[in-house]
Amino acid sequence: MKLEELAVRVLEAAEEAQVEFMAVGAIAAGAYGVPRSTRDVDLLVSMQLPGNVTALIRRLSSFVCFDAQVTFDTLTWGRRHVGTSATYPPFKVELFETFEDPFVISEFARRRRVFVPILQRETWLPTPEDVVVQKLRWGRSKDLDDARDVLAVQGPETLDMSYIEHWCSVHRTDARLREALAGIPPLD
Amino acid sequence: MSAPESNLAAAELKAMQDSIYREKILRARRQTPEERLADVFELSNHQFGMMLGGAMHRIGTTDEREGWEEVGRWMRRLDRVRENGLYVTERNAS
Repeated sequence: MKLEELAVRVLEAAEEAQVEFMAVGAIAAGAYGVPRSTRDVDLLVSMQLPGNVTALIRRLSSFVCFDAQVTFDTLTWGRRHVGTSATYPPFKVELFETFEDPFVISEFARRRRVFVPILQRETWLPTPEDVVVQKLRWGRSKDLDDARDVLAVQGPETLDMSYIEHWCSVHRTDARLREALAGIPPLD
Repeated sequence: MSAPESNLAAAELKAMQDSIYREKILRARRQTPEERLADVFELSNHQFGMMLGGAMHRIGTTDEREGWEEVGRWMRRLDRVRENGLYVTERNAS
């Protein structure tokens, strides 16, 4: 199965389960920055309706094997469900639950519906500003590259930099933002 | 104090890195979001194809299933390295 085929099935399952979600991770970063390879289909799933994630996991279980154990990230203590595709290649499906975090609430409220030709369907994506803030917050090397790439490809002049600066200040990632901006060479 | 030659080499290297990065950015800017998304999927499928070839060569098999199982093993190892300290199975009480 190709990654796009898996992505279509995951998105279809999410729509059928009537869960509110948006695609995050490399798919979201690739839409606004420099495309890079990934092995994951990552969704942020709203927990507004109880049982959302359970319903989605049930629908996915015919082609994704989920770990029985939920995991927590040590940065925000958000919950993550990890699954591996039952077919080859061994792609991963990661479901992140929304939680009472002001930034997560904000980015989810600002999500956009975007038509993706390769998937032949619309899906929900975060805004580029929210991708930058989220990536700077996580701060792994690939996240910092993604954040710089989105800033460089979109151009700070087209982005709501006051929104980005606000959240970077809240997350104390101002220095990472400055470093990302400084890492963009002159493009003319 | 570093030698002038090493400063020059570092400057040349930085200029080359900037030039490569500039090309990547300008190419991505010429693409639509839809084209960039298509690239994510194409690059990912290609990378897995390359990994399968490498895994089959590494374990000396012509059986794709065995190759994919080896790729899966590599990916699980990679996850353990990359996620070390980042994810835990119990929430910290504090």
